[in-house]
Amino acid sequence: MAWLVVRLAISLSLLYTASAVFEDQVGKFDWREQFIGKVRFALFDTHSQASKKLLVATDKNVFASLNSRTGDLFWRHVDKTGPEGHIDALLMYGQDAVVVVGNGRLLRSWETTVGGLKWEAVLDTGSFQAAALIGVQDFVKYVAVLKKSAISLHDLSSGSQIWVENLPDSDTVQYQTIYSGGNGLVFVLGFVPSSHIVIVEYKIEDGEIMKKKSVEAAWMSSLENSCAVISSGNLLCVDQTTQSLYTLPLQSAEHTEMRQIHLQTLDLEVASGFQPVLTSTQPNPAQPPLAEFFLQLSPDHHILLQLKDDLIAPLRDFNPSYLAAFATSGEKTVAAVMTSKNDTACSINLFSADTGRRHLDTTIIYHMDPNGGKPNRLYVHAFLKKDDSVGYRVMVQTEDLTLTFLQQPGRVVWMREEALADVVTMEMVDLPLTGTQAELEGEFGKKADGLLPMVLKRLSSQFILLQAWMAHLWKLFYDARKPRSSVKNEVTIDTLSRDEFNLQKMMVMVTASGKLFGIDSKSGTVLWKQYLEDIKPDSIFKLIVQRTTAHFPHPPQCTLLIKDKDTGLGSLYVFNPIFGKKSHISVPALPRPVLQTLLLPVIDQDYAKVLLLIDDQYKVTAFPSTKNVLQQLQDTASSVFFYLVDSSQGKLSGFRLRMDLSTELIWEVVIPTEVQKIVAVKGKRANEHVHSQGRVMGDRSVLYKYLNPNLLAVITESTDIHQERSFVGIFLIDGVTGRIVHEAVQRKARGPVHFVHSENWLVYVYWNSKFRRNEFSVLELFEGAELYNSTVFSSLDRPHPPQVLQQSYIFPAPISTLEATLTEKGITSRHLLVGLPSGSILSLPKMFLDPRRPELISEQSREENLIPYAPEMPIRTEWFINYNQTVSRVRGIYTAPSGLESTCLVVVYGLDIYQTRVFPSKQFDVLKDDYDYVLISSVLFGLFFATMISKRLAEVKLLNRAWR
Amino acid sequence: MQYIKRLLDVYIALQALFALSWGFSDTEPGPVAGSQSNGDRFKIEGRAVVPGVKTQDWISTARILVEGEEYVGFLKTDGSFAVNDVPSGSYVVEIVSPSFRFDPVRVDITSKGKMRARLVNYIKTSEVLRQPYPLQIRSGGPHTYFMKRETWGWTDFLMNPMVMMMVLPLLIIVLLPKVVNTNDPEMRKEMEQSMNMLNPNPELPDVSELMTKLFSKGSSKSGGGTKGSRSVALKRR
Repeated sequence: MAWLVVRLAISLSLLYTASAVFEDQVGKFDWREQFIGKVRFALFDTHSQASKKLLVATDKNVFASLNSRTGDLFWRHVDKTGPEGHIDALLMYGQDAVVVVGNGRLLRSWETTVGGLKWEAVLDTGSFQAAALIGVQDFVKYVAVLKKSAISLHDLSSGSQIWVENLPDSDTVQYQTIYSGGNGLVFVLGFVPSSHIVIVEYKIEDGEIMKKKSVEAAWMSSLENSCAVISSGNLLCVDQTTQSLYTLPLQSAEHTEMRQIHLQTLDLEVASGFQPVLTSTQPNPAQPPLAEFFLQLSPDHHILLQLKDDLIAPLRDFNPSYLAAFATSGEKTVAAVMTSKNDTACSINLFSADTGRRHLDTTIIYHMDPNGGKPNRLYVHAFLKKDDSVGYRVMVQTEDLTLTFLQQPGRVVWMREEALADVVTMEMVDLPLTGTQAELEGEFGKKADGLLPMVLKRLSSQFILLQAWMAHLWKLFYDARKPRSSVKNEVTIDTLSRDEFNLQKMMVMVTASGKLFGIDSKSGTVLWKQYLEDIKPDSIFKLIVQRTTAHFPHPPQCTLLIKDKDTGLGSLYVFNPIFGKKSHISVPALPRPVLQTLLLPVIDQDYAKVLLLIDDQYKVTAFPSTKNVLQQLQDTASSVFFYLVDSSQGKLSGFRLRMDLSTELIWEVVIPTEVQKIVAVKGKRANEHVHSQGRVMGDRSVLYKYLNPNLLAVITESTDIHQERSFVGIFLIDGVTGRIVHEAVQRKARGPVHFVHSENWLVYVYWNSKFRRNEFSVLELFEGAELYNSTVFSSLDRPHPPQVLQQSYIFPAPISTLEATLTEKGITSRHLLVGLPSGSILSLPKMFLDPRRPELISEQSREENLIPYAPEMPIRTEWFINYNQTVSRVRGIYTAPSGLESTCLVVVYGLDIYQTRVFPSKQFDVLKDDYDYVLISSVLFGLFFATMISKRLAEVKLLNRAWR
Repeated sequence: MQYIKRLLDVYIALQALFALSWGFSDTEPGPVAGSQSNGDRFKIEGRAVVPGVKTQDWISTARILVEGEEYVGFLKTDGSFAVNDVPSGSYVVEIVSPSFRFDPVRVDITSKGKMRARLVNYIKTSEVLRQPYPLQIRSGGPHTYFMKRETWGWTDFLMNPMVMMMVLPLLIIVLLPKVVNTNDPEMRKEMEQSMNMLNPNPELPDVSELMTKLFSKGSSKSGGGTKGSRSVALKRR
């Protein structure tokens, strides 16, 4: 009963605090973009002519079906991250798609129209090598999976295992390929490096080994790309060192040696250092592959060859050519080849596979993005036109993970920026003012030069405003006549300007592939993109806004620090975040690994904030490093402190800047690595404002907050992971003095720890391994009833330790990320944004995480609006800010203040990107969306008329009385 | 904190009890990496139903999450599911769908592969309220994501207590003189008496009087008007 009362009290109190979405707000200021990642396998559904399905499997462990006409997702299945969800192979036959997952652990068959699973089979462990569809008498009935030491055959309709056989000598022979020509036999090909090829022949019905033979091949180094089976069971291999092709009929018993064909006899040569690639095609798994194949001799040289009567004849030489691919429609097989046209465009042509003849009028022009990467994959969708000729569409994937779908003669049907599936870091930058706005601002900026010029200037700017307003009215009038759909004005880079409340911003996103994006936060349109080449995978990025748009006419400036993961060497890339253009500012060379960066509030004469980079010898590089900056740095050096974290040695050290830009060690805290390791260190956000210094208590006294801007939260995890002994440690360390302000240990807990450090509080989530649940804990620091120094906070002069309050709560769901809302002045109450694995983003009022929540309600606590303590935190679907627009694999939540105090901009990124606005204290500074203009005006008019009428009546009465 | 401590005591007591009665060891580590990796792997099976909705309309957006995203499963076209390769331990199994609500279930797997399902209770973690296994999960209906707008209607307006408080006296003022004959001298005397009863201290300035004085300063005309109307009424009679 008591529970019920508490619940009721909570739910009542929530009615007034929680922000939620109204149904009519859907899509008004929020948007979501869904991504899939880098495509590894793509298959067009050729089952029927009208089918629009394009099945893709990506490196993000995503299996999806795209609409090939629009590029939208039909459905998408996101599997577990890591090797256990890795998609090894994708095969398609008819309506079903067979996927091998988790290094050959699972075999799944998907019903592609619905997007549901048909069956799932668990395979034995063993590293996956290959999978193939097996046909018998023109029907595809089975799927074969080749592991390192075993081969298994499964029924395609039910997934049941027909047989599984161990491979002979699997400890010495590397089996890599399966082949079946539809004649009741399955061939497994393997090899012993630099020795021989092994061919094992299995009977489909029972898995009996029919034949096993080994053929001498001393040159062999890999089967996968350099060998292919063509034309009714001929194994074909290419070798770079001997510059030869080798052929071998698989089935014939008499051939015990591979036939060598020197490439010279065909007038061909493999480019030095290039591993040649053979590409064959088997349109129907129940029939042998075609006799034609592509041989790639160098990165831009393909040749179409044909095997006929044991002779290899070139059909057509494509030099230069970037990419080549086969496609089949009905009985016809074609080859599409991409060749370079000029510097900015490529042309794709269609050739008939059996003759090498070019199809007329089949050219597709592909325009390369000058800021993008080179194309590296080509997927062809061929179809039969009404006149029985072959038409085709192509999907081109580039190095920067752009998918472009083209049709003749070069029209881009759709485009997807799959680099955005892996956003690493982002910033939001204010949009620039328009010309007129800037003009007005300029008036106030300049010093007065006489009365008359100022008056004139004022008049002229007023005139400009009038002009702009007239133009706006005219546009409104003009648009009103047009149909609704065509009015929707496109956002372009030229029309960008800040809106009244600064709600529209530029989202600068950095992706793991090294592609930068500028996205309009209102619509989600990509306004600019820039691919940075030569970025190693797993690089670490840090994006810094050095100059905002507030310093007209200086352009805004962002700096991206790219750090190599292995060497630690960094490089700087400076660009304009609004237009994406690279700045021509000279960038300091960074010869030593960068350990830490620090953005100072010191600005140079061009209003760019100074960035300090600390290298591994504790030397500091300033950027920009003009004389003015160095002078300022010398003046302020004694008050510039920074910290370094060395988690491998468990060491936290604080340094101070010296005049000559060297540093001195001030403090050091060592957390012994045998017991615990540092997992995260976080300070507070630099752009955070705290509005109130304290909290008013029920008895009218004030509890002052401990607002230390230098406070660092250090989270450690125990090295012992046994559930009884594992713990999570929390240290609050002053970054200037190295003093440990507070220390807490959460026993029987383990990570991953998510935490938010803001104002005077720290909220962290850990896994309680004893009770197997997630728990929230909140630490709040207070100075007490009196402020020690109310004018300025100094870490060096703090005689009294803060009072620390703590409370913990149960959170009834797992968590993937945690972030807090942020507003312009910090007046609005804070909410925590919790990313859940289900893809929902929960907006949890910070009110629930208040260590002063009482167990028993008293008069004072009621006055303070404290919610009574309840161990379990509520989760209500009304608090999901993204309603049904779930975001898969949330990696980070970015919050930014807007010009409105009530509004906080939120960007959630992960596999998808979701942008919205939240109003933690509701929209107290703007009229509500549903504000009833009709009611208020009708009441006003009604009152007005009522007074008029009653006045008239009164006059009449008065007159009547006078007559009496 | 104290609350949690108390719970802890309760938990330990219950723990002992259930360990005895079920032969289950609840203290078995959860999905701790390493300690269980070479042990046996099991399969969590079940079926999900959304009453009144065809499976093909919702299964493509739904997933089975075991302990967050630790293990992931997908739904078959008939609504059944299986999550493979799960080591022994205790897990919260949840069907997540952006459209429909499903209650999570805790599934315990012993090291021998014995399974049981029970209601999730994060406060009393050892309480066992058994659920069927293989899991039978019925949707509790669609999610409610949206708050309702406060709509404006005449009935809402009229039933508002403030409005009621204003309208009722108004009605009394207007209607009462019509019902009661004020010309009757006896009646008038009675009313005056009752008015005096209501106003016990005649010295005290009446608030309403004060207000009328304050507001009638500028509009003495209209005040006259009402007087006039009364006299007219009298005359008519």
